Amino acid sequence: MTNWVRACAADEIDEEDLIRWDHEGHVYAIYNTEKGFFATDGICTHEHQSLDEGLVIGCVIECPLHGGRFDIPSGKALSAPVCVDLATYPVRIENGEVFVATG
Amino acid sequence: MPDYVPTNAASSGVTLDKKLLKQIAARSDRPGLVYLARWAAALIATGALVWLTRGTLWLWPAMFAYGTVLTVPAYAFSHETAHGTAFRSRWLNEAVLWLTSLIYMEEPLHRRYTHTNHHTFTWHVGKDSQMPFDTPMGFGGWLAEVTGFGLLRFHMAVMVRLAFGRYSDVMRDVTPAGEFPRMTRNARVFLLIYAAIAALISAGQLWPLWFLVLPRMLGAPVMLLFTLTQHVELQENSPSILDSTRSFRTSLLGRFLYMNMNNHVEHHLYPQVPFHALPTLAKAIEAQVPEPDPGFWRTNAEVFGVVLRRSLGLSTRAPSIRQAPHMITEGGRVERIAQRTM
Repeated sequence: MTNWVRACAADEIDEEDLIRWDHEGHVYAIYNTEKGFFATDGICTHEHQSLDEGLVIGCVIECPLHGGRFDIPSGKALSAPVCVDLATYPVRIENGEVFVATG
Repeated sequence: MPDYVPTNAASSGVTLDKKLLKQIAARSDRPGLVYLARWAAALIATGALVWLTRGTLWLWPAMFAYGTVLTVPAYAFSHETAHGTAFRSRWLNEAVLWLTSLIYMEEPLHRRYTHTNHHTFTWHVGKDSQMPFDTPMGFGGWLAEVTGFGLLRFHMAVMVRLAFGRYSDVMRDVTPAGEFPRMTRNARVFLLIYAAIAALISAGQLWPLWFLVLPRMLGAPVMLLFTLTQHVELQENSPSILDSTRSFRTSLLGRFLYMNMNNHVEHHLYPQVPFHALPTLAKAIEAQVPEPDPGFWRTNAEVFGVVLRRSLGLSTRAPSIRQAPHMITEGGRVERIAQRTM
């Protein structure tokens, strides 16, 4: 059974940007990209840096600490120093609200 | 969780509205392409001087002018693309990183990862892998740094090590393991290109001498006078970039050659900000950072005066540039704090 949890209003996230969402002790990043809304783990897999101050460039998130990049839809690590992918979570938009499948 | 605090805005107590920071840090290809076009134009103009003065004594000042235009932006562009901030398109960043690192003469990924380490541990003794001179600096250290031979020897030794697949502890410490095969391949290609240039000259082709080798050597001191100012006479082992790093004012020409990197405090606080946005960033945080030091020439003249007086056992107080308290002495024996790591 998918556990859909309301995370935020869709208009809380600017276009080509992300927010940090803390839920039950876990940090998520929720993105508004040119291809829609996505959610991943919110902490870089390289050095435990929160991604929320990173830059969204198209469908790529760049970590603010060392510039490692991940593909947002797939969570795939694109360029060193990041080597481990980010976990991703399904997202749906209902009535202007962002829901994330947390488990 | 990492067991260290990276040196950046957070560790320096500097803040900036997140939305404004993201606006300032936004990536675009256009400024980098415009810069590339201007650089090419400047190279053609000064290169024409080299061509026209062949066979006269004017060839040397012409090669110096061309060499400065070749070498300083190659360093600056290599640095900017190592950060991945020069262009929005990743492939453009990587292509320009490769080409400019070839001129700067450092393997591109070694440049990227040692520089990442330099940002994480800015001017921390035993941790920062890009400390190019002993501190406090004396006249001998200044001479080794500014002539460029110390750095060239280091980069060539790194290149040869990488080409043979021999990775030092520092390399292993700062580089993701998966990158070593690419570094070895790059180093071998670079060495082959340098060998081809040497072979051409040996075969009697003199144009690589006039347009590459001699200008690169003549331009190196100017490049190194720019880079010397970044941290010299400032505080080692401080979590604050405001203590360890220097910004200075410079002319339109200086800002062009150095890609605005005279805003060096601002660059270290927010390394994700591209070169073209550094003046905007500097304006946004000017109330939180020290006043930039005076112009390029005056800052360098004061540094030279200080290191010379230090070696002569005289007072080391500079007239106006910022110095860490322990750098200012009334003479006598100087205890070394940091040993160069590059």
